[in-house]
Amino acid sequence: MDESTPPPPPPPAASEPSPPPPPSTSGSPTDFLKGVVGKRVVVRLTSGVDYRGILSCLDGYMNIALEQTEEHVNGRVTNRYGDAFIRGNNGTWWFNSLRTPAA
Amino acid sequence: MASQILPLELIDRCIGSRIWVIMKNDREFTGTLLGFDDFVNMVLEDVTEYETTPQGRKKTTLNQTLLNGNNICMLIPGSSGPEDA
Amino acid sequence: MDASSNGIQEPFDLIRLSLSERVFVKLRGDRELTGVLHAYDGHMNLILSDVEETIMIVDPVEGAPESHTTVNVAKRKMEMLFVRGDGVILVSPPSRT
Repeated sequence: MDESTPPPPPPPAASEPSPPPPPSTSGSPTDFLKGVVGKRVVVRLTSGVDYRGILSCLDGYMNIALEQTEEHVNGRVTNRYGDAFIRGNNGTWWFNSLRTPAA
Repeated sequence: MASQILPLELIDRCIGSRIWVIMKNDREFTGTLLGFDDFVNMVLEDVTEYETTPQGRKKTTLNQTLLNGNNICMLIPGSSGPEDA
Repeated sequence: MDASSNGIQEPFDLIRLSLSERVFVKLRGDRELTGVLHAYDGHMNLILSDVEETIMIVDPVEGAPESHTTVNVAKRKMEMLFVRGDGVILVSPPSRT
């Protein structure tokens, strides 16, 4: 994590000051990922299945957590999950910051 | 010596220009290269995705896209993609 | 932001918060599980109990378009199960809303 928080853990429900906004345009994959946390994304697996939702967080293995997730197969919604953990290194996937095509 | 340019140095020089990415599967992408890392995960902008299906080539436009390096097969710097070739 | 307010800082937090809860697991090979999550590790190896497995068996009809496939669904129950992590595609905890 890039922000050092004070040692005593804050009360769980405390509203933390929101972190500075991410740089608008990113270069490296890491920058891209930092910039896209909290936004709507499409995660596409090699199988062709799309997961669309709000990116809560991700880790170094590219495990990712999504909120308000919809599973799309062949353009149809096949499942909805409140939260979803998607394992990284899974076959392979890529994702783009939503606004996928204007159809 | 004009020797020893590493493969990824070549790609590094492509940052900011158009690039054509051919995946291991039936997908291809073109876009402006914003960056990449040691795994050759790549971030592209103004992307066109080409999917080759038995029914023909399907074209999709995307905004910023992160491609997983695991799935990348070939990179063609400076090309606008299959329609340019 | 949402992510910090619900205590999820990294993806595994989502799994940690689902311990002892009934979760939905999607695996490679068109398998799905629901069961109570007892343990997990960094590989996403899982221990589930009271598990119901759903297997989709898709039979493409020879020469027919993709939409004409028949899907057979098989279900079975298992008391306690170890899931090897490399087959895991997705884990979804019960909805907390």
